[in-house]
Amino acid sequence: MSEKETSPAILQFAPLNSSVDEGFWHSFSSLKLDKLGIDDSPISITGFYGPCSHPQVSNHLTLLSESLPLDEQSSIASTSHGNRNKCPVPGILYNTNTLESFHKLDKQSLLKAEANKIWDDIQSGKALEDPAVLSRFLVISFADLKKWSFRYWFAFPALVLDPPASLVDLKPASAYFSSEEAESVSAACNEWRHSDLTTDVPFFLVSVSSDSKTSIRHLKDWEACQGDHHKLLFGFYDPCHLPNNPGWPLRNYLALIRSRWNLETVWFFCYRESRGFADLNLSLVGQASVTLASGESAPTVPNSVGWELNKGKRVPRSISLANSMDPTRLAVSAVDLNLKLMRWRALPSLDLNVLSSVKCLLLGAGTLGCQVARTLMGWGIRNITFVDYGKVAMSNPVRQSLYTFEDCVGRGEFKAVAAVKSLKQIFPAMESSGVVMAIPMPGHPISSQEEDSILADCKRLSDLIESHDAVFLLTDTRESRWLPSLLCANANKIAINAALGFDSYMVMRHGAGPTSLSDDMQNLDMNKTNKQRLGCYFCNDVVAPQDSMTDRTLDQQCTVTRPGLAPIAGALAVELLVGVLQHPLGINAKGDNSSLSNGGNNDDSPLGILPHQIRGSVSQFSQITLLGQASNSCTACSETVISEYRERGNSFILEAINHPTYLEDLTGLTELKKAANSFNLDWEDDDTDDEDVAVDM
Amino acid sequence: MNSGREVSDGRLTVEGFSVAARAFADKWKIHNQSFPPWSWVPLINRTLHLSNQQEEGYLSLEEILILSSLEESPEDESLNVATDCLEKEESVDHTILVQNQENEAHYYDFHIVYSSSYKVPVLYFRGYCSGGQPLSLDVIKKDLPSCSVSLLHESKWTFITQEHPYLNRPWFKLHPCGTEDWIKLLSQSSISTGCQMPVDLYLVSWFSVVGQVVGLRIPLEMLN
Repeated sequence: MSEKETSPAILQFAPLNSSVDEGFWHSFSSLKLDKLGIDDSPISITGFYGPCSHPQVSNHLTLLSESLPLDEQSSIASTSHGNRNKCPVPGILYNTNTLESFHKLDKQSLLKAEANKIWDDIQSGKALEDPAVLSRFLVISFADLKKWSFRYWFAFPALVLDPPASLVDLKPASAYFSSEEAESVSAACNEWRHSDLTTDVPFFLVSVSSDSKTSIRHLKDWEACQGDHHKLLFGFYDPCHLPNNPGWPLRNYLALIRSRWNLETVWFFCYRESRGFADLNLSLVGQASVTLASGESAPTVPNSVGWELNKGKRVPRSISLANSMDPTRLAVSAVDLNLKLMRWRALPSLDLNVLSSVKCLLLGAGTLGCQVARTLMGWGIRNITFVDYGKVAMSNPVRQSLYTFEDCVGRGEFKAVAAVKSLKQIFPAMESSGVVMAIPMPGHPISSQEEDSILADCKRLSDLIESHDAVFLLTDTRESRWLPSLLCANANKIAINAALGFDSYMVMRHGAGPTSLSDDMQNLDMNKTNKQRLGCYFCNDVVAPQDSMTDRTLDQQCTVTRPGLAPIAGALAVELLVGVLQHPLGINAKGDNSSLSNGGNNDDSPLGILPHQIRGSVSQFSQITLLGQASNSCTACSETVISEYRERGNSFILEAINHPTYLEDLTGLTELKKAANSFNLDWEDDDTDDEDVAVDM
Repeated sequence: MNSGREVSDGRLTVEGFSVAARAFADKWKIHNQSFPPWSWVPLINRTLHLSNQQEEGYLSLEEILILSSLEESPEDESLNVATDCLEKEESVDHTILVQNQENEAHYYDFHIVYSSSYKVPVLYFRGYCSGGQPLSLDVIKKDLPSCSVSLLHESKWTFITQEHPYLNRPWFKLHPCGTEDWIKLLSQSSISTGCQMPVDLYLVSWFSVVGQVVGLRIPLEMLN
């Protein structure tokens, strides 16, 4: 090319870009799931675009939920026809059923097929009747309806002119028209845009007479426009905003003009708007020069281009909509919302994060275990581990709310396993596991062959307690609570204990472990320091509760209980835990009594008072709160026992299990009992109860 | 509850909402031309066909554009796909303009929907970028005026994600609790009719507060 000639530059078009509204994917997913199934035949869809409406941002070809063939269920009035910003354009969607077949699609031939349709419409004259077909498009996609992610690729087929069109001139429309003409053109355009009949026709003729009157005509009126104009431009809605380039729709427009009317020079008008009205500064007028086809008998289909680039690369686009479509995520956000509402409306200081992160260990998956688990879920607690070595029996499902009839047919499912399954069915985002294991108990001597496995179980229990934040003691015997109580005291973990009698219940939180106190406190008198700690389940045996209204010891061998008790006690146990978790002192929180509360601990705990123990009965429909201090002689949580455990570990455990009086001797309870008994001897002549005051271990 | 022309308890009936909505949309069109107009989207209730049923619907303002500086867009796995071979096709076509990365455009849709349980209007909104991908709340907060972000922290007006009542997709909404209380305050301070607020001013008053949270201001003339 010689430098002397200033040959006009090649006309460069700005590519059209796609925009897929979330609603399209939602509708398409429903269509696929409800109607199409694995049918992957192509689907006719409708795209929408309009002229550019912002000087810095181009418009896109958009897919909306209305783009798909009509869904009868929609309750929203269809707004697509006659909508000025949504000119409908025909398109086709090829959706594959696997990622591999997506990659294997023959993109070249698909593009060619659509380009052929455009060419045919140009040749047949259909493009003059309905010019929107010039912007026909193609989409290939792969919808992964398990992960709710969508991979897609648009193509906007453009017929390639060979040789390419060159740009003679391009300037803002306001610079091209005289001011009178500009006014008249604007008015005519606005009228065209305002009428429902013409507003969604994206290609038109602009005819300006010598006395500056403008009329806008349909393309099919081209013949009629000849002669009575001063300026005749080919106008089109240009989605592009750039000042130096026309938009993509001009490509096929030029192909049409060249083919139908054999023009070598084409004056075109890129129509753009702002604020809903014609903007002639933003709009462009240009002059293009095309080379006519050299006398071929039958015009051949030109080549085509048009696959959309993704950030400059030849790769498809993808979008993940799991957050708005995945039912599990939707359930999670609904549950979270519920808790947040509680915080906003009633408890602004509620700490929801601590609840969602706390790990709960439930020892026992029976009536109490099931109720506790359900109430924990209601508080948004997601991490629950069950320990239970039993199986679901036929009598269980009516009282143990996580199990159903299916769990007990045949050999019966392990409770720990069935409970986990049930939680997941209730709320899929639960993180739950089950351990089938028996808890070693003192006073039940074991043979030497069993020692190893018992010790292994002890270690396992100890590890479980270490790895959780709160432990619920919900087993059905007293003895099975001893080892967990000791381990919790040792590890200073929150322990909540619930026990049932026939028609009464007891729910309590254990105090902090003895070694939880700081060093300087340990220098003080032991009695004093112990008074700082609340008692555990076994402390009760020695220290009388301050309120002696109820003096029946709850013997947990009782498996026959009034059915209403487990839900009540289980719920109270969880509310007690939440109270501890929300309290600034946590496990060290002091115990309140409901009788003392005049607003009690309300500053510290927005939930209300935080008692130590709650005892109630359904025979009286009554409930009281109690306070008990830790005992120096407690067989589970006293300093003596804990240090012995720390020093001697397994041998300590084995001795406790095998020798019925070992613990009592260790803690001095034996002494205490002797002292108590010796008292009783003096009083035998009196009228006393035969009730044995001795501690039942 | 009076279905008359005035609201005295801070709440709105369904009919009142329709009236207030049209009045609001009309005033907006006249006084707030820097924004596109609100449109009324009617709901076709196919189950009930009451003869004199007032048309139910909601107000919609869509595709409000906010330009933000180019940020790290969310990880797009498709970019890591080994070059999807299109070798055989398009040789470089010089007629295609190579585009630079421009500013990222964020689009926002706003819907004013009537809540029959609270009996007040509720603002629903969502944001998305030009390709259609929804914007997360963190990104949206960056587009909000800075004063409203701090306001949201303190007050009960946190954005929550909830099902849009008609589109069945999660949208953000400003929680309506408290609306009737501060509407009552607004109506008490209106000089003209004591503690009453004319229905057609309801949405204008309501939006004068709520709109600020999402950066949509209304000019003072609208309040007359």
